[in-house]
Amino acid sequence: MMPVVEPYPPAADRRWADVQWDLIAAIPETPAMNIALDEVLTKAVGRGERGPTLRIWSWASDAIILGRFQSVRNEVQIENAQAMGVEIVRRISGGGAMLVQPDGAITYSIYVPPSFVHDLSFSESYAFLDSWVVSALRDLGIDAWYQPLNDITSSEGKIGGAAQARRFGAVLHHTTMAYDMNVDLLTNVLRIGQEKLSDKGLSSAAKRVAPLRQQSQMPRQAIVDTFVSRFVELTNATPNDVTLEERAEAEALAREKFTNDEWTYILP
Amino acid sequence: MHGEFKTPGGKLVVVDFDVHNERLNNVMVSGDFFLYPEETLERINAALEDMPVASSEDEMLRCLEDAIPDDAALVGFSPGAVVTAVIRGLA
Repeated sequence: MMPVVEPYPPAADRRWADVQWDLIAAIPETPAMNIALDEVLTKAVGRGERGPTLRIWSWASDAIILGRFQSVRNEVQIENAQAMGVEIVRRISGGGAMLVQPDGAITYSIYVPPSFVHDLSFSESYAFLDSWVVSALRDLGIDAWYQPLNDITSSEGKIGGAAQARRFGAVLHHTTMAYDMNVDLLTNVLRIGQEKLSDKGLSSAAKRVAPLRQQSQMPRQAIVDTFVSRFVELTNATPNDVTLEERAEAEALAREKFTNDEWTYILP
Repeated sequence: MHGEFKTPGGKLVVVDFDVHNERLNNVMVSGDFFLYPEETLERINAALEDMPVASSEDEMLRCLEDAIPDDAALVGFSPGAVVTAVIRGLA
């Protein structure tokens, strides 16, 4: 029996309903294409061509997604990743490396004009933009809360983390949560040093993460559906799709930038 | 050389560099921090490049603070965290 947890109040904030949201449902994309779509949709919001948008991701293959400021060799066991078919892709936002697998992660992006969070500090904006998910997790019986700066956690451990980029005239906020974790693969392809865990009181990254499958006993899609329902309830978002132009722009970026070593190894 | 420092409750800063003629060379600051605008990272690296290894922590700190524009935002770390990582790399 799941414990009863208190509802999470910030999700009730009226500003979510004060703008017209688009909701882009998940289509499996390659890692580079997922990252390219983030840049393209952020630019589209920045240019005013697209309103505030939530995009649910679907991963077509295994990948390590590095933060904008991370060094590849400091974070990745490059030869192991290549041997195991795990692609290395650098995203445009800061934050930490994550290992994603098609059924192992739940990821979404929020694209908003800067005005949507203009009165919030960086830290407040992270908690605010993920507040609807924390609220949905509580509905699932998980005692989730936001751990500043950018973690979603519960008493069982870390569930996920968010990262923001603020450029192209808009705010990109994306969040990845662990649904299931392949600890063997994780420890073979990533490097997680002791210094990173120094203020966590834990000896390994694997111990720190509590995937949603283990916490909820629910299928991945059911959890995603719960998140989407909560978001639609809050915003009245309209189902929408990536336009043909946006897709073409993203395909070009995926080809020329996000699968190009010049970008991936910008911090070797 | 390689030094790391995690700001308690914040983010990890890593500094990789060589030492030539008692100065820092090929400085690369990296980590899981957030930095706006992104180009500020190049200024941070440039501020540390050619820094004498005998510099005091205060000298390094001042040099970094001078190089970071007023409108830049360092989230989850600070110039002091970068200096600590350099000092650890030199130790």
